[in-house]
Amino acid sequence: MHFNFITIIARQEWASIFRSKIPLSLFTVLLFVSLLATFTGWQYVSKFNHQQKTAHHQVHDQWMNQPDRHPHRVAHYGYMVFREKSPLSFFDFGLDSYVGNAVFLEAHRQNTVNMSEAGFSNGMLRFGELSMAMVLQLLVPLFIIFIGFQTVAGLKQNGVLKIMLCQRASFLDILIGKTAGITGVVWILFLPLLLLCLIAGNLLIAGGINADALLRIMLLTILYALYFLIITMLVVTVSAMSKSSKNALMALVLIWMLFFIVIPKSAQTLGSSLHTAPDKIAFEQAIEADVSKQGDSHDPDDPHFLQLKAATLKKYGVDSIAALPVNYGALVMQEGETISSGIFNKHFDNLIGIYKSQNAVSSIHGFVDPYLAIRNLSMNLSGTDFDSFTAFQKQTEKYRFEKTKKLNEIHLTQIKYQNDSKQKVSAENWQKQPDFTFRPVPVSENLSAAGLSLAALLLWVAAGIGALTYVSSKRAYQL
Amino acid sequence: MLEAKNLTKRYGSHTALNSLNLKIQPGEIFALLGQNGAGKTTTINLFLGFTEPTEGTASINGISVAEHPQEIKKYLAYIPETVMLYPNLTGLENLEYFSSLAGFDYSKKELGELLATAGLQSQAFGQRLAGYSKGMRQKVGIAIAVAKKAKVLLLDEPTSGLDPKASNEFSRTIRSLAENGTAILMATHDIFRAKEVANRIGIMKEGNMQSVIDASSISANELESLYLKTV
Repeated sequence: MHFNFITIIARQEWASIFRSKIPLSLFTVLLFVSLLATFTGWQYVSKFNHQQKTAHHQVHDQWMNQPDRHPHRVAHYGYMVFREKSPLSFFDFGLDSYVGNAVFLEAHRQNTVNMSEAGFSNGMLRFGELSMAMVLQLLVPLFIIFIGFQTVAGLKQNGVLKIMLCQRASFLDILIGKTAGITGVVWILFLPLLLLCLIAGNLLIAGGINADALLRIMLLTILYALYFLIITMLVVTVSAMSKSSKNALMALVLIWMLFFIVIPKSAQTLGSSLHTAPDKIAFEQAIEADVSKQGDSHDPDDPHFLQLKAATLKKYGVDSIAALPVNYGALVMQEGETISSGIFNKHFDNLIGIYKSQNAVSSIHGFVDPYLAIRNLSMNLSGTDFDSFTAFQKQTEKYRFEKTKKLNEIHLTQIKYQNDSKQKVSAENWQKQPDFTFRPVPVSENLSAAGLSLAALLLWVAAGIGALTYVSSKRAYQL
Repeated sequence: MLEAKNLTKRYGSHTALNSLNLKIQPGEIFALLGQNGAGKTTTINLFLGFTEPTEGTASINGISVAEHPQEIKKYLAYIPETVMLYPNLTGLENLEYFSSLAGFDYSKKELGELLATAGLQSQAFGQRLAGYSKGMRQKVGIAIAVAKKAKVLLLDEPTSGLDPKASNEFSRTIRSLAENGTAILMATHDIFRAKEVANRIGIMKEGNMQSVIDASSISANELESLYLKTV
């Protein structure tokens, strides 16, 4: 391998792409689409987060302005929590449009997260939204195919490759030089654009860039750079293996269809058929069945609660509930809450496990489809992945449990058992309770969750280099 | 300088070249005549190292092409039937690019001199190749070969499709390269051009070298008759 020849070939490839009007026209279209996607993404996320903030303030004000009340009424009054979109969600919508962003929290019930965009949209959302990530993942590969399909096949067809090979540069020098030239063009056209959009979008949405955001932006830029390199190596390899430009283009379009339509859809279908998830009704019925089995607080003859009653009476050395120094009703409610929350968490973890297994099928397919690898990584780093959603769901359940527990404690200690429902406590009791704040998944956890996809992407880089080396060693591909 | 020993190439049951024995000395022009599929291009591809022999060896300057495909590139240059090169580059830029791939760093003046040596008009130097005639492109091809200072020149149908004037100019340039010591192997359909430019002529049929003739010992008409009788 001669670095000097590689540089000469790369420079020539670069120059010949920029001399032609078609690549620049294509880039202009993609630039317009990228900027449009960034602008609409930023507008949408800003508006959405503003709405979430407004709704949150409204709900919080209503909560704080409750009059002095019975704590159990307060527990049933409920509280709504919201998840603002991550600052980088404007770039990659990921699963955000399909999962909810708000949940109503109340005593005894674990409500599911609601209000997804998909639920409020017409069928158009099924065809995908325009995001900058979509442009980079799907359309930039097409751009690379169009500027690169004839890079070697064209030279072969018109006999220039033979003349080049008769100079001192080897076939490997030519293939690497071509790859470097095309990759250079793609990087110079799209990476500054990506970086600029990520920084500007983050600044506009979050009002600044912290270390976490900066790390995510840098990683996204590096990973997309690798993705473009992989696609370029693939294009150059196919072009080098093809007898003519037409054959190369046909093969590459077929690969594009496989990578971007067939494999992702098949992986999804395979994942859900290998790991079947229960529907919402089945999920809730299973929880109810387990709760009834372990202890139903509403059933006076439930053995678990009869045992609780006996143990409580023994603990306080009294022979009736009325003689207890604490409110037994509140104790029963808290025990019921602990049981139902524990069972919900167990079932929810199982459900998440099933979804994760489904996602793992898709991640494993990243080893045969680099698009799946970058799609997962991009979602993870943009905070629009499945883990970000489940983190919200788990945090809300924890918050609900703690909030209800505190209200039950007030009930237990400040409300007497006799004439329970007629009593009230000061509003200060719940006004002191902390508000819910969603803690996004840290970047390190995001990366470790996307470990398979990261490994797949790096393996694709190695495979690309291997493919170029293999093709260059075969004389049949030189003619 | 350029030698084939029992050189054979088979594709499955088809023998494209059968046991070719040939030696071309520095300063000599050897023309290969034959119909399509006679084995002319296969012979050139074997010397270029684009295909491996089934049997025998092709060597340049005593170095086996199959064993050292990269090493032999130092010694050879190649001009195909149609020199396409890069249509968006000028003649000068094409020459600069290809000679840099051969490891030469010529000045603009030197590149111009090389193009002039190949017979290209100076007004064409700065024009894009897309506007060149076939003859002009062949001249750039010659300039690339000359720039490489190659000891061996392989030509595959170099005058095919050229007008008589361009063909004649091409022949003169090739002869002058041979006079400077270059060994030249030329595959062609053009009997009269072969007679005019070559020292020796080989007539091939179905992968076999049927006869090798001293070009000075035969007239063009006799060569044509022999050729028609052979193929």
